[in-house]
Amino acid sequence: MQNLKKIVAKVLDIDEIKVNDSLTMSNAEQWDSFNHLLLISEIEKELGITFFIQEVEKIKSFKDLREIVLSKGR
Amino acid sequence: MSKINEKEKLSISDYFNLYRKLKNSKNFGKNKKSIKIALLSSFTANGIKEVLFVKCHELGIYCDFYVGKYSRYSQEILDKNSGLHKFEPDLIIWFVDIMSIFGSNYFLPYSLNENQRKKLIEEKLNEIRSLAEKLKSDSDAKILLHNFEVPLFSPLGILESKQKFGFIESVEALNSKLRDTFKNDDQVFVFDYNAFCSKIGKDNAMDYKMYYLGDIKFDLQYLPELCSEYMVYIKPMVSITKKCIVLDLDNTLWGGIIGEDGLEGIKLGPTPEGRPFMEFQQYLLSLFNRGVILAINSRNNYDDAMEVFKKHPNMVLKENNFAAMQINWNDKIANMKAIAEELNIGTDSLVFIDDDKSNRQMIREAFPEINVVEMPEDPSLYLKTLMDMNDFNILQITEEDKKRGRMYVQQRKRTEFQKSTSNLTEFLKSLNMVVTAERANKFNIPRIAQLTQKTNQFNMTTKRYMEEDIKKFSEDKNYHVFSVRVEDKFGDNGITGAAIIKKGKDIWSIGTFLLSCRIVGRKVEETLLAYIAKEAKKAGAKRITADFIPTEKNSVANDFYKNSGFSLVKKEKSKEVWEYSLKNDYKFPNFIKFVEKQMNSLKNAKS
Repeated sequence: MQNLKKIVAKVLDIDEIKVNDSLTMSNAEQWDSFNHLLLISEIEKELGITFFIQEVEKIKSFKDLREIVLSKGR
Repeated sequence: MSKINEKEKLSISDYFNLYRKLKNSKNFGKNKKSIKIALLSSFTANGIKEVLFVKCHELGIYCDFYVGKYSRYSQEILDKNSGLHKFEPDLIIWFVDIMSIFGSNYFLPYSLNENQRKKLIEEKLNEIRSLAEKLKSDSDAKILLHNFEVPLFSPLGILESKQKFGFIESVEALNSKLRDTFKNDDQVFVFDYNAFCSKIGKDNAMDYKMYYLGDIKFDLQYLPELCSEYMVYIKPMVSITKKCIVLDLDNTLWGGIIGEDGLEGIKLGPTPEGRPFMEFQQYLLSLFNRGVILAINSRNNYDDAMEVFKKHPNMVLKENNFAAMQINWNDKIANMKAIAEELNIGTDSLVFIDDDKSNRQMIREAFPEINVVEMPEDPSLYLKTLMDMNDFNILQITEEDKKRGRMYVQQRKRTEFQKSTSNLTEFLKSLNMVVTAERANKFNIPRIAQLTQKTNQFNMTTKRYMEEDIKKFSEDKNYHVFSVRVEDKFGDNGITGAAIIKKGKDIWSIGTFLLSCRIVGRKVEETLLAYIAKEAKKAGAKRITADFIPTEKNSVANDFYKNSGFSLVKKEKSKEVWEYSLKNDYKFPNFIKFVEKQMNSLKNAKS
């Protein structure tokens, strides 16, 4: 989970401390639609997992992201 | 193409972060060199800007960027008031993908018959060609035009190859026609995107999910590699080009140590251990043949090394391929300085190849501007390392560029010969020089323009001209434009000088008058003045005037007109005008054979 936080912090250019369940697409300024895709791409590469297109669309917050990554065994 | 996976340790989001940091830093925009790049693409191409910005910054280039409106590249090109044209780019990257070009025909190629497919390709080619022409007429930018990825699939499967002008063949045809169309174009460069996709693996080139979610047709993770390929074009555009490879000997050009293993003991030849060195040398030779200068920096006994060059049957490179040879027990830093001095080139145009890690480190610390190649420990990877290098690119190659490696070798022999003769006049006499002046024509115009661009020292006005400018002068009856070729007993120096003279009724005015520095001081300059004086007199002129514009770099030319019998008639803030009366003949130096050459006729002006 620490890795995931790192990646999110890096892509969104925010402090790692701020990466928690309250972080959402609507309250994080840099979390626009392009950075969303960049985030997915980086997580797939770094953690060696693959998201389905439906999942990518469904993720709206760090909590969503964390749960889906967990469901993939990471 | 450059090597994949080598230095690409940074991920794409690292580039985004670096980009943000650089943009916010105090030194933003303070790089010495700069370039304006515009990107036109048929899909969401976010990221190219950021990665290129960082890559340019690493080389000290500030990069200003314009990203064309999403998928509206045609309008950007056609509308003279578009953001693209207002931006006035130096480089336009034109990235249109195969799916956009084909539309639904990409998935249904066989809903078209053979003729329709041919027509489609013809149409697409014409579309690109006319857009390119439009772009060329409104912009001076270099245009980097992507070709198209040849698909790996066909609805016909293995029968694809049996079709007349099939789907795959039609994309290949489009690529080949693109290449033909712009083969002789010095503004448009076709970027072989298809080959690039093959290199990263076509299965990796597109991430389908990203395509459906964001119309991203190129996998973000490979953007750094793609941008590295763009850098290959950007570097020569801002004059970052290496000219010379400095080589170590032991375990670099051959396996083993000559001083210990002896001529029979070193590894070089058709054996598993010898072949890597032999083929490495062969590729070095082919670089030499395209104009790269070779030099040696080795701690060795000179005679031991020479024995290999002279006697080893499998030695590909000979003494005649090296413009400078520092083979001694001095330290490599001192040798490196000596090489740069001898060749009269900046250390920033050197590449250093040495198998020894500590030598590399030493050179890297002493000369951060030298490209020190990280050689693999295994010699079987030497050849590939060399083939992956892309530091010697120029956007246009002249005959002189191709001969450069050879010319520097001749220059070394000339210098050695000069040291063995007693005085300068004796030396010049025994060179048997032939100086040929040739009126500007379509063959020498590119070189004349290049010389005005590159010559800094013996250049009386330092006016820079493009090919188009030289062409205009040469077509104007009021101008005499010629190039100068110098040959001697050591070889052909190629076209190393040029002059542009305005022919008035009474006065001929010399504007551009320049010579490459390796020719200066050999009475070629006097020969040319004599030629100009003779022609002017023949045309009935009374006087010659000549401009001199001093710069930081042309002090070698300060007193040239003065020492040539001209007198100063006007001195302005930044320009001097010198004059010579044609009452007196201007004498040709008697040991130089002078030839005046016109396009199809040879006429001896004086022998």
